[in-house]
Amino acid sequence: MAAIESLIKWFADPSHWSGPDGIPTRLLEHIQISAESVAIGALIALPIGIVLGHYGRMGNLAINLSNVGRALPSFGILVIAFQIFGLGDLPIILSLTALAIPPMVTNSYVGLREVDPDIKDAARGMGYRALAQLLRVELPLAIPLVMAGIRTSAVQVVATATLAALIAGGGFGRYIIDGLAQFDYSKLFAGAVLVALLALATEVSLAGLERLLTPPGIRLVKVAAASRATTFKTA
Amino acid sequence: MGTGLFLQAQEQPWILWDWLFTHVSRFTDALQQHIQLTLVAVALALVISIPLGVAAHRWRAVRNPAYVVFGIFYTIPSIALFALLIPYTGLSATTAEIGLVGYAVLIILRNVVVGLDSVPPDVVDAADGMGYRPIARLLRVELPLALPAIFAGVRIATVTTIGLVTITAVIGLGGLGQLILQGLVDNFRTPLVVATVLSIALAFVADLFLFGVQRLALPWSRGV
Amino acid sequence: MNRKPYSGRLLAGLAAIMFAAVACGSTSTPAATSKGNITIAGFAFSEGSVLAELYGQALQHAGYNVTFKLNLGSREVVAPAIKSGQIDLYIGYAATDLEYYNKGAGEATGDATATTAKLNSHLQSISLVALTPSAAVDQNAFAVTKATQQKYSLAKLSDLQPVAGQLVLGAGPECPTRPYCLPGLMSLYGLHFKSFKALDTDGSLTRAAFKSGQIDVGLVFSSDGDLNQLGLVVLQDDKHLEAADNVVPILRQAVASDDAKNVLNEISAKLTTADLVQMNAQVQLLHQDADAVTKVWLQQHNFGM
Repeated sequence: MAAIESLIKWFADPSHWSGPDGIPTRLLEHIQISAESVAIGALIALPIGIVLGHYGRMGNLAINLSNVGRALPSFGILVIAFQIFGLGDLPIILSLTALAIPPMVTNSYVGLREVDPDIKDAARGMGYRALAQLLRVELPLAIPLVMAGIRTSAVQVVATATLAALIAGGGFGRYIIDGLAQFDYSKLFAGAVLVALLALATEVSLAGLERLLTPPGIRLVKVAAASRATTFKTA
Repeated sequence: MGTGLFLQAQEQPWILWDWLFTHVSRFTDALQQHIQLTLVAVALALVISIPLGVAAHRWRAVRNPAYVVFGIFYTIPSIALFALLIPYTGLSATTAEIGLVGYAVLIILRNVVVGLDSVPPDVVDAADGMGYRPIARLLRVELPLALPAIFAGVRIATVTTIGLVTITAVIGLGGLGQLILQGLVDNFRTPLVVATVLSIALAFVADLFLFGVQRLALPWSRGV
Repeated sequence: MNRKPYSGRLLAGLAAIMFAAVACGSTSTPAATSKGNITIAGFAFSEGSVLAELYGQALQHAGYNVTFKLNLGSREVVAPAIKSGQIDLYIGYAATDLEYYNKGAGEATGDATATTAKLNSHLQSISLVALTPSAAVDQNAFAVTKATQQKYSLAKLSDLQPVAGQLVLGAGPECPTRPYCLPGLMSLYGLHFKSFKALDTDGSLTRAAFKSGQIDVGLVFSSDGDLNQLGLVVLQDDKHLEAADNVVPILRQAVASDDAKNVLNEISAKLTTADLVQMNAQVQLLHQDADAVTKVWLQQHNFGM
């Protein structure tokens, strides 16, 4: 089809692989801003979710945080952030971080809560102190869900980072927005394909990381749990 | 940069109440389009997800491909998906709905399957024993028991769709997203802020409404 | 005892409500008037809405059934839409439209009439027609902040030549592909900027970029109403990169009846650049609605409101 042909031609053009608007530059921009946002979000969200889950406190808040997060229109958040902070990376990272936090809190909370109380009892019986119990018994058991939360956040951040082009951000979203403005169908299509591939790659690689980090004994049991990760789509 | 520059932007209040009260119809029109796009998406998603979910529950051969296909769809960022569809379906509601329906299907489908899976085998046996034919058993025993999970899925899908509709402003639709776009283009905070707040409020109201319906229709199930 | 029928009925009722809401929600088609339907589109900047409302309302009061598609996009979106019949009319700018339809052949001049005639020679084969250009003009203009102007002693675009390499240019994403934008600056003035930042077409992103110093030179429109207030200075186009961008309605030949053309030409004849600047100022600075502002203009010019 003509569409596929022009797409292949676009990718075959060497000028699209270099310079400030080239694929490597845009890829790095996109990854950088996504990674920063997920990292900052994780630094905030994971301790909160884990501690709340460990003590079993404020469960409603932890779970409903995802409902609140889902209700936030990412486009509106980005433009409001632009109005407050102007152009640049700051408003983008703030918005993305805000959207990244809810799934990580909810999933870590649920992950910690799901740890079998018998196991916690056994650990206490074996003499584990509280922090050690948390780190060496509960967390490893909760890893599948914690990772699922990180994975969900990461994929959503990559998707929302695409929208950042609307407030003069970089990344692959630039190809989509510029392609729309210039009515350059190949650029638009290429941008969409690149973003889709990046999102899928993020999903797959983090799922792989999750499997790597899960202690072998747990892998067999926890498959069903991981699939219960909160569905969270904001972009 | 010197004083006096961008006085407009610096002093612009977040909400110009005068403007707001004289432009209520803008918001009600946008709200209407927003609700319409959402309803169509969720309704179509239900129509697809329930039969597909029944099939996926029955046959492994349907379940895994369905999850994979809709899972991939779901992972693709919405703006990218709309961009991919534009050459074929144009800057139209169809493009928007294809994306929105696809996302909602994954959410609801998973819950239909989980819901059906969670029907205790004893109940299924008992129904068989009472003489229910498979379809009757499905409609009058299994699906009703799966309703709590399905409802939960519908709630999540609705809230998600309401948020995603704002993005369709980029292809000329958007509902409340149009007002957010106006706020961006015109450097005008009022429609931006009010539309964002309305979108969040709409999501909460929809969620609460569905929760209420669930309580009414399924009093034996506590809200999930 | 048996709850299932109850829940079933409730759900059926819900479904009925949903479908009713969808059905009733769709806008009712207005009754066809005697003169027919016209869909008019506006570009995605505030003057685009002003012009679309101006000409559109005039047609409405002449008895046409007008559908407005405001903020449709850039010319790259609007032109295909009119070619495919999705819209019937848009208000363009003579020189920029000529260079769009002739694929950048460089035929536009400072003469509005000649430019429009050339435009029509290209529009004929795609069943479009451009009417008589108005005296009102809105050209691309390149502005700098007062601070930048003083720093480099800038008065005209040629003054940028020695310092362009230190400056960042900001404009809409379509600028690098428009002959009157980046390519023109490079070829006619020899300006090679340090970098280009894709923002928006004379919108809030461009203004914010000026404010934060992320761009030094930015694309604005010569009829903007808020340049003074923003502390921006337009550099003179001494080599005449921008040609006659007079306001001109472009419509499909199928809807170009004599009556419609008369209505549109009457508006064009009475519209001045000062009018545009004033209407733009009201919309951009006072947040008045484009349709309200144009309504006032139409009343003042006795268009039988």
